[in-house]
Amino acid sequence: MTIRALEKVSVGQNGIGAFILQCRKLDVHYCNQSGSSRGMNSFIKSQLSKFASLNPQIEFAVSPRPRKHPVLIGHYINGKHKSICVKNMDSLQILKKAELLRDASGDKIKRVNKPITSINESVRGVWSPYHGNGMAV
Amino acid sequence: MPEWMRGARSNANGSLIDQSHESPEESSTPHQTDSSQRSLPSPHPDRSLRSAKLAALRARLSLSSKIPLQVLARALVDPSADAHPRFNNANLAFVGASLLQYHTSEWLVTRYPRLPMGILFAAMKGYAGEPALDRIARAWGVEAAAAPGEEVDPGYLQFSPDKPTVMMHKWGYARAEAKELTKYKWRRGMSSRVVFDDPFGKTIPEQTEELEVSDARNIREMIVPDTEKNAHANLVRAVIGAIYLHCGSETAKTFIKSYVLSRELDLSNLFNFKLPQRELTRLCARENFEPPVARLLSETGRLSRTPVFVVGIYSGHDMLGEAAGASLDAAKISACINALKAWYLYSPGDVGLPSDTLAEDATPWRPVYVDIGEIIS
Repeated sequence: MTIRALEKVSVGQNGIGAFILQCRKLDVHYCNQSGSSRGMNSFIKSQLSKFASLNPQIEFAVSPRPRKHPVLIGHYINGKHKSICVKNMDSLQILKKAELLRDASGDKIKRVNKPITSINESVRGVWSPYHGNGMAV
Repeated sequence: MPEWMRGARSNANGSLIDQSHESPEESSTPHQTDSSQRSLPSPHPDRSLRSAKLAALRARLSLSSKIPLQVLARALVDPSADAHPRFNNANLAFVGASLLQYHTSEWLVTRYPRLPMGILFAAMKGYAGEPALDRIARAWGVEAAAAPGEEVDPGYLQFSPDKPTVMMHKWGYARAEAKELTKYKWRRGMSSRVVFDDPFGKTIPEQTEELEVSDARNIREMIVPDTEKNAHANLVRAVIGAIYLHCGSETAKTFIKSYVLSRELDLSNLFNFKLPQRELTRLCARENFEPPVARLLSETGRLSRTPVFVVGIYSGHDMLGEAAGASLDAAKISACINALKAWYLYSPGDVGLPSDTLAEDATPWRPVYVDIGEIIS
C-alpha cells in the first residue's frame, strides 16, 4: 500500500451526456383591470398553453397581481431568479421575453473574453523552456 | 384520518407495488390506527398526478412516460420522512444503487485496467459516491421540502434531519471482526476490501443486514451524518431503480451513462504516492524491464536561487517518465511519479463493457485486459 487515494468528486458539465434546462419555474403575473396588462392577458389566453406544452420541463404558475404591472419571473436551478416587467407589451413581445427567460442559464451576465473555456487539459501542453534545441543568442 | 382514506391509500400503492414487481409480503394496513386524526407522513400517491413540479421534473430528466408519476413521487420520499417501506424510496434506491455501482465499476475497470485498488475505490466514490450523487440531484433542480408531511407538494424532496434513515451502501457482508476494526483500529488489507467491504472500500458496520426499513428497524441505529446529502443521493439512486423497473436495464444503463459517467473526474489527481522510486523498481522487476535509472537531461542555474533540473527515468533505452524540479531529488521523484502514472492510467480505449452482452442481439463477450494487481501490496 504505497499509494494512497485522495478523494475528489466528479464535475458535471450540462449538455455533456445529458442536458437539463436551467429554468425550472416561470411565474406569470397579470392584472385584470389595468391597461398595462392587456397584452399579458391576451398572451395568457392565446399563447401560454401552447408555450407551456412545448416546454414541459418548466413549471408554470399563473397568478393575479391586482393593481400592479404584469411581470414574468423565471426561477433557475442555481437558485437565482430573473424577473422581467412586461407592462404595455403585446403578446408576441411577451412571448419573446418568456423565451428569453426559458433560454437563460440563471447565471449573472458575464463578459466572455476567451473564445474557449474548458476544464480539460490542453492537448498541446504548456511550453517548456527546458526542452527542444534551444535558441542561440 | 378516516378509515376509508387509509384503505384507499394502501390500495393505490398496492397496485403500484404490483406494477414494479416488488415484495408484496405485507398485507396489513400501512399505518397504526391509534388516532383517527393522524395525518399521513408523506403525500398521498394520488396527489402526484396533479403536481406540476413532479411533471416538470419528469420532463426535465426526459424520463419515459412508462414511469408512473406515483413512482417518481415515491422516489422523492426519504425513509426519514416516511418509515413505511411501501411509501419511501429505500427499495427503489437499493435497486438503483446496485445498478449504479455495477455500471460504474465495469466502466472503470475496462477503461483503466491497471488502476490500483485504492484508486479504483476512490474513483468509484468520485463518480457514484454520495457527494457526487448529491451534486447530481441538486443539478436536477429538486427542491427540498421544509418539513415532510401529507400536505406537501409531491414534487418536493422530503426528508427530516432529526429522524433515522438508511445509508444505501451499508448493506451487505459485515466482517466478523467489524467491531474490533473500529474499536482497536485493526488494519485490513486492500485485497480483502474487494470481497468484504462496500463498493468504496469502507467497512460495513454490524447489524445492517436487513433490507427492511420499518419503524422498529430505524429506531435502533443508522443515524446518518449528513441527512440532506444522503436524501439527495437516495433520490438519484431511486430514480435509477424506477427506470430499471419500468423501462428495463438498457434504459437504466443509458441514464447512468448520461447523468453519472459523463461527468468529469481527472483520475491522475487521485494518486498520492509514498514510495514512488521503490514502486517503480518493483514494477520494472515484475514486468521484466531493465531496472530504472534516473538521468539528468538538462539543468539551469544550479548555483542560483531558483535552479531547475529536468530528470528522465530510463529503463534501458526507453524513457519511462520525465519531470522538472527545483532539486535533483524532487525532479527524480516527480519523474518516477510521472512514469508510474503513465503505467497506471493506461487505457485501451473503447473496448466494450460486459453489460453490452446483456442486449438481445449482442456479440459474445471477448475478454479484455485487466492487470494482475498491486505492485507493492
